[in-house]
Amino acid sequence: MHNAADAQTSLEAVLKDEIIRMYEEVADNPTAEFHFFHGREAAELFGYDPDLLDRAPVGAVNSFAGVGNPHQRADLKPGETVLDLGSGAGLDSIIASWGVGPTGNVIGVDLNPTMCHKAQAHAASTGTTMECHEGRMEDIPLPDATVDVVISNGVINLSFRKRRVVEEMFRVLKPGGRISITDIVSGKQLTQSIVNDPKLWAS
Amino acid sequence: MFSLLEESGFERVKSAVVPHFRFRHQSTRNSAEAFGVKAVMLTATKPDGD
Repeated sequence: MHNAADAQTSLEAVLKDEIIRMYEEVADNPTAEFHFFHGREAAELFGYDPDLLDRAPVGAVNSFAGVGNPHQRADLKPGETVLDLGSGAGLDSIIASWGVGPTGNVIGVDLNPTMCHKAQAHAASTGTTMECHEGRMEDIPLPDATVDVVISNGVINLSFRKRRVVEEMFRVLKPGGRISITDIVSGKQLTQSIVNDPKLWAS
Repeated sequence: MFSLLEESGFERVKSAVVPHFRFRHQSTRNSAEAFGVKAVMLTATKPDGD
């Protein structure tokens, strides 16, 4: 007989697969219609600089599935180390890499190794570099106090363990480090039918 | 999320609603509105002396 922890672990595993499937679908079928705005249309809606979108690889722009613009308040400085939590196809990482310049460092973390490879390829095609680690935001694969800024865009809401995610961001930040994230929040408790449905949760 | 950040030790936590965020379909917008779903921008700082 399963206990509650086993049930949550099982649901998280299913959710991981659903998240990977959904965001791969966005990356692989950028002209498809989803319930959220994506691609350049979404990025422009959220105030991304059109010049930066022109400079960025088309594949990274078309796969954009964020919910806002974390760069607007990130105030990145040359030489800083940035963690992009849930880096996807890499648009936010690439824009961050331009912000921190050649003396800075951008590290992506994504559940999906395929998206990590895409993000790194997109970054390389612009002449910048980024590290990307396959990993969970609940267990960020980075040492303590190594990051100046955490950016994230529409990802933390996907976790069942948001407190753990926040604690992990705190752990990897250097003293004085900061976060600039955009995400979806709910003003009311979601129904159990939504919580237990990976397709709805991943949405 | 705001509370989680404060409880985890972050300081200077600020939030603002993301302007222009919306779902594509009216039916999804209606559901989102029913649950008070919105997109927010959050900034916060880890204390210097930690």
